[in-house]
Amino acid sequence: MDPGVRLMERVRTRDIGAFEALYDGYHRLVFGIGLRMLGDPASAEDLTQTVFLKIWTAPDAFRGGSFVAWVSRVARNRALDVLRSKAVHPESEIPADLPLEGALDDDVFARLDAQRVRDALAKLPPEQRGLIEMGFFGGVTHQELARRTDTPLGTVKTRIRSGLRRMREALGERVSR
Amino acid sequence: MSDSVNREAMLESVALYALGVLPREEAALVAAFVANDDDARREYLDLRGAADALAHTAEEPVDSARSARMKERLMARVRSDAVAAPTSIATRRRAQAVYPAWLWGTGLAAAAAIVFAVVSIAQDVNLRSNLATAQRRAGTLQAQLAQSERVASQDRRTLTDLLAPDAKRYEVAAGTVVVRRERIYFAFSKLPPLPKGRVYQAWTAPKGSSKVAPSVTFTPNPDGVAVVALPVDATRVGAVAVSVEPEGGSKAPTTTPTFIRPLT
Repeated sequence: MDPGVRLMERVRTRDIGAFEALYDGYHRLVFGIGLRMLGDPASAEDLTQTVFLKIWTAPDAFRGGSFVAWVSRVARNRALDVLRSKAVHPESEIPADLPLEGALDDDVFARLDAQRVRDALAKLPPEQRGLIEMGFFGGVTHQELARRTDTPLGTVKTRIRSGLRRMREALGERVSR
Repeated sequence: MSDSVNREAMLESVALYALGVLPREEAALVAAFVANDDDARREYLDLRGAADALAHTAEEPVDSARSARMKERLMARVRSDAVAAPTSIATRRRAQAVYPAWLWGTGLAAAAAIVFAVVSIAQDVNLRSNLATAQRRAGTLQAQLAQSERVASQDRRTLTDLLAPDAKRYEVAAGTVVVRRERIYFAFSKLPPLPKGRVYQAWTAPKGSSKVAPSVTFTPNPDGVAVVALPVDATRVGAVAVSVEPEGGSKAPTTTPTFIRPLT
């Protein structure tokens, strides 16, 4: 089982030790998402603080499933909030938030590691990899991806779909439902 | 454009939705499509798994000084249980006092002090006025941000519910009724266009009763797509219906319902 799930059970009982362990285990992931999406360490630090405070104050927001997947989505959604509040992009260029409950079984993420995912990503053709990374971490819509890469919208859609399918095949049953 | 081409285009949009690159309006449309199509739901779950895995690639070492500082800052907040506490009145008063403080120096000649005091009071009033304006502006921005976060949170919950494997789904004409916990949604993907001056209206009937109560009105987009959250406790509802009504809605259905669906 994802160790985060067990720790969250204790955090719900206001166990500070469990919360500290949760932070030790996952702050690099949250900080990393913040850094990739917001682009500077200070903003990533604030985002990390916000996400973990939210976990402490509203632990019931986690309703089970994979903790890693959940906290990743919380971090990504929060980063989107920050991008919206900065109003650097028009509203229409900020993608919708991801649902917080998702597709993965409890321990799927526990069976994955960063290197394995990086390897799967590295095997994609550059034109697919670039769009997928920019889309996931860039906080921009597919139309913006098309503009930035000077690629027709239909091609962007096809490349993203093909790339995600290849990723799924490469990761095999590790991301099966 | 044929239905199969349309469907293929929608499936490509499912991949975009799984990656999280669709703007809010399109995301709602795709969520309605996914809620109504088993193949699309499987595709979404598969690709969403691959997209979720990307988060792993963001994990990076944080330098030890930063890591320690972040942890200290966080744990101090947690331990003091001062989480999200609003700024106290005392703090605000101290902040206000910052501006005029330098104006109140001592050691000035009495006459000069009187003149200076008059100027100081005028500046103080001016600064307080500026501060009040700034605070009002900050309050407005905060309210806008809170509203934006509420909308985002509602969207997030709607999309989560529509796609949740544990949601109950009831097929109806042109779409699906989705029930999850105490919430009910209509996810329509091909509602017929409305005559001018007409809207669709939802109706609910309590459990054990055939008497319907009026609920929200709505208008689908040009493709016949609409996602509607009913403001009612699903645990008390025995059936839902939709009919075409005049703009503004009706107190009782005035046309034959498009569908009546018991939630059993």
